[in-house]
Amino acid sequence: MKNLLLGISLVFCSAETALAQSSSKLQDTTNLEEVVITATRTEKSIGDIPVPIQVISREFIRQTGSQKLVDILQQQTGVVLADNPLGQALQGYPNPFGSGIQLQGLDPAYTLILVDGEPLTGRNAGILNMGRVAIGNIRQIEIVKGPATSLFGSDALAGVINIITDKPEKKEGDVQLHHASNNTWGITAGKGFSRKKLNVQAFANRLSSSGYDLDRSIYGKTSDAFYNYSGAVKADYQFSEKTSLRSSFRIFHQRQFNNYLVFTGTEPDPVSGTTIERDWSFNNQLTHQFNDKATLFVRLYATGYQNNARVYFDKNDQLYDRSYLEQQLIKPEIQFDWGKGKNGKWISGAGAFFETIDASRYTQQRSFNAYYVFTQKEWLWKNKFNLTIGARFDKHQLFASQFNPKVAMAWKVNSKLRLTGSIGTGFKAPDFRQQFLAFNNTVVGYSLIGAAELSGQLQQMQQLGQIASTIDISPFTQPRSLLAEQSVGINFGAKYQINQGIKIEANFFRNDIRNLIERYNLPFTRTNGQAIFSYINLNRVFTTGGDISFHHRITARMRWQVGYQYLEARDKDVVRKIRNNELVQRDPFPPFNSRFTTMADYGGLFNRSRHSGNLMLFYNYPQQQLEFSTRLVYRGRFGFVDRNGNDVLDNDAEYAKGYVLAHFTVTKQFGKFFAVQTGIENFLNYTDPVTLPSLPGRTMFVNLNYTLH
Amino acid sequence: MQKILLIAVVALIGFSSCKKEKNTPAVTVTEKTDSLRVNFSATSTFTFFNFKNGTVVPNSDSATNKWDIGLRFTTFLVNSGASGPGNAGAILQNVIYSSVTEAPATGYGIDTTNSQRAIKDGSWYIYTPATRSFSPRAGQTFFFRTADNYYVKFELLATDYEPFVGPFPSKLIYRFRYTYQANGSRQFN
Repeated sequence: MKNLLLGISLVFCSAETALAQSSSKLQDTTNLEEVVITATRTEKSIGDIPVPIQVISREFIRQTGSQKLVDILQQQTGVVLADNPLGQALQGYPNPFGSGIQLQGLDPAYTLILVDGEPLTGRNAGILNMGRVAIGNIRQIEIVKGPATSLFGSDALAGVINIITDKPEKKEGDVQLHHASNNTWGITAGKGFSRKKLNVQAFANRLSSSGYDLDRSIYGKTSDAFYNYSGAVKADYQFSEKTSLRSSFRIFHQRQFNNYLVFTGTEPDPVSGTTIERDWSFNNQLTHQFNDKATLFVRLYATGYQNNARVYFDKNDQLYDRSYLEQQLIKPEIQFDWGKGKNGKWISGAGAFFETIDASRYTQQRSFNAYYVFTQKEWLWKNKFNLTIGARFDKHQLFASQFNPKVAMAWKVNSKLRLTGSIGTGFKAPDFRQQFLAFNNTVVGYSLIGAAELSGQLQQMQQLGQIASTIDISPFTQPRSLLAEQSVGINFGAKYQINQGIKIEANFFRNDIRNLIERYNLPFTRTNGQAIFSYINLNRVFTTGGDISFHHRITARMRWQVGYQYLEARDKDVVRKIRNNELVQRDPFPPFNSRFTTMADYGGLFNRSRHSGNLMLFYNYPQQQLEFSTRLVYRGRFGFVDRNGNDVLDNDAEYAKGYVLAHFTVTKQFGKFFAVQTGIENFLNYTDPVTLPSLPGRTMFVNLNYTLH
Repeated sequence: MQKILLIAVVALIGFSSCKKEKNTPAVTVTEKTDSLRVNFSATSTFTFFNFKNGTVVPNSDSATNKWDIGLRFTTFLVNSGASGPGNAGAILQNVIYSSVTEAPATGYGIDTTNSQRAIKDGSWYIYTPATRSFSPRAGQTFFFRTADNYYVKFELLATDYEPFVGPFPSKLIYRFRYTYQANGSRQFN
């Protein structure tokens, strides 16, 4: 409460948002006019998209008052925030992996994250730190569910999240001050300029926090203190009526402070240091319109990511550990669109990836090149049927070429009902980590070794005496290369607009993945007793389920919505074993009886919730310029760790509890230029330091928005 | 008639009870549940165990026939070959312990050398990084032939760390149940 009062003397909301309040309300329920780009790589009305797509508007982001992208994403139906299980392994130690977005029951590594249509690099254990993307200049977020590989290539198996930032146009300046619990402070400024043929949009943000500690019995914080800066400049230049150039540059710089205990001798030693994370991207697109049918896009995208951590002993300032990761990507691309208007287009394109990566955890700098072509054609019949067929061919240096087609259909049955269906394939390249990692965790002492490095590393470890000379490593010293993971995804959806106020949307999905690359532990350990892990193409899994959402505008002032996702995610090989009575479980408590696992026991893959959902209520008093929003996010119980000796989720003791996150926000506008926003996140104060280290307890915030005029 | 029937019934009962008495063997199998405190280090001493008495054997007796199995870290020794003077052997099978009625007749591995042991290190557990635990695979049964040629069926129930501070525990507590056949046969019931 002290924080709250302190902060109220500070915050505001812009005139733009004040206008948005009145105009965009209706759009949220009827949003047929919303224009999206991710699903088809061309601008289209959301009502014409034949695949499942969700759009998070600037208005929704503003109403939450949140500064965290993951929080906003996980409030959407079917978008689940999942902590990395290896991060959990290091409970009490810095969790370098964080949490990521799970779509349709697939891990965060299977969702492609784009900013303005181009991919971000720098994933750690498959997870991209979403904190790198500032919120203040987001125009909208498009979430396409189901495979989008036919357009975007690798990683888009579960879907694509495209974060679209502000357009360069003349716009009044905005300033926002943010203050929240855990000594969190943020300042954001943005402005658009226009001068003849040049339009520019600039944005800057600083965010800092002291972090939080969920378990005081463990030395160090659960989440460490940090500060970061983000900046973005985007410019459009209109050379002529037909030719224009858009260039944008964004940068992110974060410094995080680390402090934890290490055990190098008999006594624990505190160490401290910093992790510096840098991320930049330069995005250029030249557009030339030959006539009303033909448009050419020439793109050049470059991005880089750096993560540099240094930790020193507190007692003598000696370096304890240094680790770094540097990744660069250059991606030229051309795209040619043929067709009038927004519908019925034929698009084709070609491009290349030139990527390099260097890390302390790899034996040397690695680079690889990849080339691709893609095409997509859309047909329309009588404005009722839409058929879209697309395909993409990727040629990679490290593994076999990939061909990925996709077919999608939409049928407007009548003015109220629209049905969609799609089938497509996807792939995920074995990432650098799975191939080339050679990592020895100095805190806990385990080793994680990429498939291509395994042979050499094991021999070296045995020579150094880190593996007992008595152990036979020969089964693991054959050269091993990983195959790309491949999937087939099917989606069926329906949207029913009962009237202007009520809308129901449902989608059913099934994804079948093979050659899944899994971390496995070798059947022997290091001499320090810790395990050695590597990667292998192992499993065949499927995820299936459905989501449904219901939006209801009760009056012009009040609307609510509810969403639910049912999910089943299973390992096909485990299912086969259970059916053949080959899988045994032993009760994790006395008298430790053993029996065969049945299908009724089987809970599917770990870290998936069968049930998840959300409930939101929005209310506004226009005459008071007051708005309220309440958002509840539910995540059902999920498998956390095996406890009965078979590495399969088949016992109640193996689950983490389900939980509800409740968020409230109140916004008060004072005249045209000021707004104060205050709210409570995670009101119920749910925390779990073991299974959910990324979730702080209850926090309060105040935002002060001001529009320069 | 009734009398004859009665006699017949009495006789039958008499016979059958007689038969039972004659064939009931002395109780030579007992199932026990026990636990061992084992060093969690690949370089420290082994903990030795004798199945017949169900006792820990001191390390000073490591060169004798007094122990049957030894445990250190996640390594099993059997008293044979490179490990000891006995005739112990072991087989690890994917069968449910309670369903086993007889030990295999042949196929017992011995500790041929220090790098080729009867029980392969790593063969019996699942390592879970989230809890850093070595949990025995469910549905496995160990068959041991003791140093002096008796048979044992053996199931690991749990391996837990003794409470510790820091990331490196020093002791593992092995919990197990076993059935020792004292009459020298391979039958367990």
